[in-house]
Amino acid sequence: MTLPCGIRNYTYAEDMAIVRTGTHWVLLIGFLILLFTAPLYFNNYWLGVFNLIGITLIAAVGLNILVGYCGQLSIGHAGFIAVGAYTSAILTNRLEMPFLVGLIGAGLLSGLVGLLFGLPSVRVKGFYLAITTIAAQFIIIWVINHWGLTGGGNLITAPYPSIFGLEFRAESSQFYLIIGIAVLGVFFAKNLTRTKVGRAFIAIRDNDLAAEVMGVNLLYYKLLAFFIGCFFAGIAGALYAHWLGSLNAEQFSFTESILYVGMIIIGGLGTNIGPIFGVVFIRVLQQVLTIQLVPFLEKSVTVLPSGFATGITPMLFGLVIVLFLILEPRGLAHRWSLFKASYRLWPFSY
Amino acid sequence: MRNRKTLIVLAVACLMLIIAVMPALSACGPQAQPGQVLKVGIITPTSGPAAEKGAPMGDANLDAIQYINDELGGVEGYKIEPLWFDSNYDTAKVATIVKNLMDQGALLFTTSSSKEMQAAMEIANRAEFPGLVCFNAPSLHRPPQHIYGQTPDYGDDWSAFATYYMKNIWKGSGKPKMALLVLNNPTGYGARDAARAAASGLGIEILWDGAEGKAFEHTTTTTSEIESLTRIKALDPDVLYISSTPAPTALIVKNASELGMFPGVTIGLGHASFTKAFVDLATPAVAEGVYGVFPTVNWGDDVPGMAKAVEYAQKLHSKDVGNLDYVTAWAQSLVVAEILKNAVKNAGYDALAKGDVTSWRAIETQGIQKLKDYEVGGLQGPISYDKGDNRLSKALRIFQVKSGAITPVTDWIEAPLVKYEDFDWFGK
Repeated sequence: MTLPCGIRNYTYAEDMAIVRTGTHWVLLIGFLILLFTAPLYFNNYWLGVFNLIGITLIAAVGLNILVGYCGQLSIGHAGFIAVGAYTSAILTNRLEMPFLVGLIGAGLLSGLVGLLFGLPSVRVKGFYLAITTIAAQFIIIWVINHWGLTGGGNLITAPYPSIFGLEFRAESSQFYLIIGIAVLGVFFAKNLTRTKVGRAFIAIRDNDLAAEVMGVNLLYYKLLAFFIGCFFAGIAGALYAHWLGSLNAEQFSFTESILYVGMIIIGGLGTNIGPIFGVVFIRVLQQVLTIQLVPFLEKSVTVLPSGFATGITPMLFGLVIVLFLILEPRGLAHRWSLFKASYRLWPFSY
Repeated sequence: MRNRKTLIVLAVACLMLIIAVMPALSACGPQAQPGQVLKVGIITPTSGPAAEKGAPMGDANLDAIQYINDELGGVEGYKIEPLWFDSNYDTAKVATIVKNLMDQGALLFTTSSSKEMQAAMEIANRAEFPGLVCFNAPSLHRPPQHIYGQTPDYGDDWSAFATYYMKNIWKGSGKPKMALLVLNNPTGYGARDAARAAASGLGIEILWDGAEGKAFEHTTTTTSEIESLTRIKALDPDVLYISSTPAPTALIVKNASELGMFPGVTIGLGHASFTKAFVDLATPAVAEGVYGVFPTVNWGDDVPGMAKAVEYAQKLHSKDVGNLDYVTAWAQSLVVAEILKNAVKNAGYDALAKGDVTSWRAIETQGIQKLKDYEVGGLQGPISYDKGDNRLSKALRIFQVKSGAITPVTDWIEAPLVKYEDFDWFGK
């Protein structure tokens, strides 16, 4: 990482630190204080949006490890989230197990299902691998719709999350649970990418043949990437189930899977901060269009024909994403890097 | 002395005047003050894969509220403030919309599809926020909590059609064979569950797709059902029942026609399938003879509430003229107004002013649960609340496409309550 002028590392520990200067610490602590005091400033609706962002972020971080770092294209992420959601709902509702068992069980089962569908990655890659993950999406949803344990297409409910007798009923308490896990997930992913495992992932992504020649075990690391990516998806699914309270397989559509890929591309593939930017951008854009813009246009701009605003919204959503990809193909993370560099060098341009 | 007499006469006159105007004064009651409104949340899939239903329903919801506010002076003098949102038929959006409605102090909320309500129901049930669903599935209100059905559910559709079929269409011997080709969501599964619960009692053999309880299924975005229909055709059905939305239903009926199944096999549709959009998409020639179940009267029928619905559709949304979904959603807003009227009368505006859980309880106990024989202008079956049954209306009618027009063939048929939760296969 580039350091401000005059700052040097004198020990290995200093060189490896994530937070490296006093300014970094102040900014980080300030951000965390702002984040965790959000329930004081925002109403339930916005806390609900933050919770949705937190859940989406956990899943997107997992997908970023799989696609962004290890280069294994997956277009079935919503299916793996569904595995986690249904696992936790079944464990906590039907088998009346504690929430934590449901949460960890969801992550593990999703990870194992991910391993299963990741097996073809040993032989195929790129678009061919994408096709196998699309198959995972449809197979998982089919099983959910037809298996008695998952409700066979009927509604399945999940109770409020509860840890050691502390029940997370209010939106604000769920916020602490979800955002807390999201922060841990982001921190884990950040660290993972700096370890031997993370470097093996990057080596496989950049050139798997060269990586193998260097001694990286492709089978092990590719499957590990699938396991970790889908473990994150499972955790996100479990939180989604308990946050929403009721599940139907339609909530985990193929469109959602594509949206997840879109989020990490918009945020910046293979960067730690990318999923945060991508998820916040997409989810806030959805809310602004749905909650703010459409009712405003329909109510206030009476010269528009009826239904115009609702019709134009999906187009606007698509247009923003397309423009984004044209103007900033390396994602918001790249723009953030440019901003940081210019801030660091200011007032000089070099 | 004279002054005293005059005083007594004046006092008696004043007293009589007060007694005379007392009833009039008490009838006036508290007047709505500026800013005192009754907020109602409205969620419709105006865009997205169910827009062919959601768009006219959103139009009708808002048109009816405009009519209530402008021409009827609101509800007990209080204007209804609609908080309308397009869900895009997206469950994640519905979840945040419902939370937004609760934050904004909505007294209750409505949805236009079972999928939307399924996404909202647990959030609403947990908060005791009452919801009214237009297109209704058994899983939304069994066991009953805080979600109410404006109309009978998709399971009731199947029961009504199956009963009609056995009484009026089936002329063969033995049990008729019925195949179900349903949408893979509550719209379809409601019909499947009803068939599973009641088919043998009605003397109908269901042709399951392999295991018992597994209906033939399709998705909202299906582009061909030739494969599933070919498998159904091989089972030699007498009747095909479809519970879906108009676009896939039209495709299925067209595919059945191409395969030579229809005419021949009787086709019956649940009420989410059966609307003008279905006839338009399938073309009147192909749709001719198809039966359908619907919970409202036909467009333009001679009932007291129809004239205003037609007038507003023609005035504000001419594209919706002739659409039964418009009538259903118009009726939904009238039911909402009746609920609010009951609540204001029984609990008073102050109890509703906060828009919090105490107001929601008042809406439920003093509004919804006080509904009794409300006629909804004759647009749908009468509305009443019966303890333990959150379907506010139980009446349906059977229609048939005749000469390209949706034509009623029965009067109202009452659908009995099925306690699905008593079956171990029903979702928990």
